[in-house]
Amino acid sequence: MGGYGDIKMIDENGLRMDGRSATDVRPITIETGVVPVADGSCRMTWGTNDVIVAVYGPMEAHPRKIQRQDRAVLDVRYNMAPFSTTDRIRPGFNRRSREISKVTADALASVVLLEMYPRSKIRVEIEVICAEAGTRCVGLTAASVALADAGIPMTDMVVSVASGKINDVVVCDLNKEEDNYGEADLPMGVLPNTGEIVFLQMDGDLSPEQFQTAWDYNVNAAMEVHKIMVEALKNGGAK
Amino acid sequence: MAIPLVPKILRSHLLDLASKDERIDGRGRWEGRQTKLEVDILPRAEGSAKVTMGDTIVYAGVKFQLMTPYSDRPNEGGLMCSAEVRPVAGRNWEPGPPSAESIELGRVVDRGIRESGCIDVKSLCIIPGEKAWQVILDLFAISDDGNLFDAFALAAIAALKNAKVPCERFEVGQDHLLEVSSMPIMCSYHKVGNRFVYDASKKEELGGDERIHITLGEANHVHSLQKGLKGIFSADEFVEIMEKAKDTSKELRKLVNSVVGE
Repeated sequence: MGGYGDIKMIDENGLRMDGRSATDVRPITIETGVVPVADGSCRMTWGTNDVIVAVYGPMEAHPRKIQRQDRAVLDVRYNMAPFSTTDRIRPGFNRRSREISKVTADALASVVLLEMYPRSKIRVEIEVICAEAGTRCVGLTAASVALADAGIPMTDMVVSVASGKINDVVVCDLNKEEDNYGEADLPMGVLPNTGEIVFLQMDGDLSPEQFQTAWDYNVNAAMEVHKIMVEALKNGGAK
Repeated sequence: MAIPLVPKILRSHLLDLASKDERIDGRGRWEGRQTKLEVDILPRAEGSAKVTMGDTIVYAGVKFQLMTPYSDRPNEGGLMCSAEVRPVAGRNWEPGPPSAESIELGRVVDRGIRESGCIDVKSLCIIPGEKAWQVILDLFAISDDGNLFDAFALAAIAALKNAKVPCERFEVGQDHLLEVSSMPIMCSYHKVGNRFVYDASKKEELGGDERIHITLGEANHVHSLQKGLKGIFSADEFVEIMEKAKDTSKELRKLVNSVVGE
């Protein structure tokens, strides 16, 4: 959070630098079945974010010590390709990708019916090919679509959206510039059927009113994104 | 990569097909899978390409960094090529530090490009002894259905050919295209059912023996060779695939030129 309040990012008409209103999300496309060798997969572009998710399993969990007698283990990895950002990222795990993998796994484990597959493993591989801002939200949302594409039973799909604050105004779905100079960021994972939350992070500075606005923006945007996800799965068809 | 148990039945099936001069997916012995090449598709990379060969899908991305030239070569920049096959690409690829297989992949592709001299490292120097460009080529597999080598090599040269040196961002002049003076092309042959075939699929790789990778430059100059996996081949066999590689690399060069422009 830079907090460069002197850079004007919202014009007199309340429009943002890319012409969006405060509640608009960036353009989204979803395509399923993009990794032919996987059991389920999905490519999601969200603004200039480009994320590919592959799902493998349920399959044998090995080594045996990771097995659980009453449920499947969910093995989630979030990774950014070395060429996905302006400055190259050294390949390999770092603290940031570890944390995002963990919170994504926690969110997905809340909806996947893991009890149906004791002693097995489900692998979710999230690869960010091109990053703009909000990759963790795109990764989590795309992972839900890929799990659905793999035919893995879930109580709901997680839809993840972030809202933030720029020039002391709450806006939905920050882009790259807004994220660099933003004053707050509130990513959430929403279950569209019930409105419940399975993923929540926040950093920056929000007043109680601003926080409520950001929360509402996220929940409303999630409902819109959910429609695109359902449409993509219908078009992709079951395997 | 965890090597799965190869059922004897797959090997004998491949052997049986070979005796009838057939392949498991119906292709001819020297026939490649349908290949699609897309370039300039990743907005954060200075050069990029995506190659789809059947169900094998890979990306290549080019990034630039400023470096201090090595003291024994003050007039030269650097070229680095690394390949990553992350577990997204198939159920047998495992997480963790780069496996021997993916290191081999990166190094063989690197040699073909480096030794062809298509990137003039002297032209990457900005201030001798002080500042030079380092070109970093990252190869990234999304879906592995066999023959990652050729897919990586094709994506690599296509990504380099559309790479733009980001001089303005680093405040060292004006952006310009990276100079790529020639086009090395790799052709890989696998021994399947006791004879070599071009562009093996995953099943053929699993049920086959050794593989040979040939990188040819302009006028059929040889720039890199690699024999991988257990197996024995004769000089005659090598002559045969070398001849085939000359024809195939010509076709692939045409493909790259048609997409990237000469």
